[in-house]
Amino acid sequence: MSGGPRSYRLLHLLPVVAVALLWEGLGAAGIVPENRLPPPSRVLGGLAELISRGLPPGSGLLGHCAASLRRVLGGVGAALAVAIPLGLLLGRSARLRSLAHPFVELTRPIPPLAWVPLAILWFGIGDLSAVFIIFLGAFFPILLNTIAGVLSIERGLVESAVLLGAGRRDLFLKVLAPGATPAIFTGVRIAVGVGWMTLVAAEFTGVKSGYGLGYMIMTARDIQRADQIVAGMLVIGLIGFAIDALIRAAEGRLLRWR
Amino acid sequence: MKKIAVLLSCLALSCAAATGAAAAEKLRLGYLRSDLHHLAAWVAIEKGFFRDEGLDVEVAGIFNAGAEEMSAFASKSLDVGYLGMAPSITGVANRAAAVKAAALANAEGSAIVVKAGSPARSLKDLAGKTIAIPGYASVQDFLFRRALESAGMDAKAVTIIVIKPPEMLAALETGQIEAFIAWEPHATKAVTKGVGRVLLRSSEIWKGHPCCVVAFEEAVVKSRPAVLRSFLKAHARATAFILANADEAVRIGVQYTGMDEATVRAALGNITYRSELERAPILEYASYLTRLGYIKETDPEALLREYIEPSGLIRESRP
Repeated sequence: MSGGPRSYRLLHLLPVVAVALLWEGLGAAGIVPENRLPPPSRVLGGLAELISRGLPPGSGLLGHCAASLRRVLGGVGAALAVAIPLGLLLGRSARLRSLAHPFVELTRPIPPLAWVPLAILWFGIGDLSAVFIIFLGAFFPILLNTIAGVLSIERGLVESAVLLGAGRRDLFLKVLAPGATPAIFTGVRIAVGVGWMTLVAAEFTGVKSGYGLGYMIMTARDIQRADQIVAGMLVIGLIGFAIDALIRAAEGRLLRWR
Repeated sequence: MKKIAVLLSCLALSCAAATGAAAAEKLRLGYLRSDLHHLAAWVAIEKGFFRDEGLDVEVAGIFNAGAEEMSAFASKSLDVGYLGMAPSITGVANRAAAVKAAALANAEGSAIVVKAGSPARSLKDLAGKTIAIPGYASVQDFLFRRALESAGMDAKAVTIIVIKPPEMLAALETGQIEAFIAWEPHATKAVTKGVGRVLLRSSEIWKGHPCCVVAFEEAVVKSRPAVLRSFLKAHARATAFILANADEAVRIGVQYTGMDEATVRAALGNITYRSELERAPILEYASYLTRLGYIKETDPEALLREYIEPSGLIRESRP
């Protein structure tokens, strides 16, 4: 802890500030035209307007954040609920694994966005569509990491648990699940990232509530405000950063035993 | 040996001819996908009107929305484009791209469409329903809000969502929206497909309203005035051709939109092809865009000076 966490953090911010200053300078010098990439000062102005006036006017930034967060959490949550149990099962049984293999490997390479037209047919243009698309994007990273996590557990450990008379339930809950947790966390972090990526694109195709960060960026494109487009991107980046930090904190807490 | 020499000289001659053709003024053109408002561009290409003016027009971009086309202008990928008046003014006002409107492409030509079985008889019946527009700050956004205003309705009385025209039909068919406003031929397509019914034509919302324009990138206006004039000549000729040769215009419309003949023929009847810009309605667009908060222009007159190219096709409005 020498130097203290505070000064350490400030040190980390330094390159960010330097890049922002350089970016601002390039804009001010006219090297990077404002209509291609607005300087940070303009982006902050756009951000302030997103908060005060909203985009489309009347739809505030907080509402957009809440709608997008809800969709991402819904999609990733559903993926967790399905992919973790399935992953534990597939990790445990080689036979099930080989049975599932063609299905997994056939659907996994399909980009979630290719599902958009079908999603709209099945679930309409509401939240459910976006949740479904995010679910598809988040599902495979969690599934594959869970399987890998189970496979990484020392074989002897599993065998002895069985020999010592562990029931099915105990085996899954007390041996396989905890053993696979580090890998599952890796999967979740990837899944949330993929979730945000697919969310924005899913919202580009239209949402019914009129709220969502992707929808907001599309609106900024419609009215041709590059500063607000970049401000929207910045907001997504910040939220993604915060969520990742939260997951890592939870990981550190849950895996203290390591 | 003699044969080879003849061949070679033929080759040389054809090369010379080719370079002669390449000396034609190159122009990169953009327009919107399946937008029948831009028929004059397609007619001028198909009938060789651009070539006749010594222009080598290359289609450099086909877009789903005017805002996308403005981004292409900003990245210097287009010299000239057909697009809506609303997105082009918005882009100029928000300094997204430097273009100048030099001619009108069409007037009217949009419609509010409800489901075929809808009981709605007037806009008031759509209160509380979800209605799709093709984009914010689009001509149709403007028309729809204007229609609401003249019906004495608040914009909050309906839920406005953005769906791109190709997807509007499916959204209407599956009952996800109650109505949409779109440019032709999407409005008529909903009717000929039996999915929709026209509630209000844009000519009923605002008689003779300007819709799409021919816009040039600033560099062309500044350094190639002769090219601009030639292009406008071809554009005016194509516009006149559409008015005089409906059948051939329909054929070209079918070819470029991929839609059936009945739809294109009916849709053409709802579009007024005219090539001259007028100042007064443009001013109305500008003040509306400001009022909605899409642009921050405080001096609409100054914006118009920046937006309208004085050497373009302009009809002086009567005082």
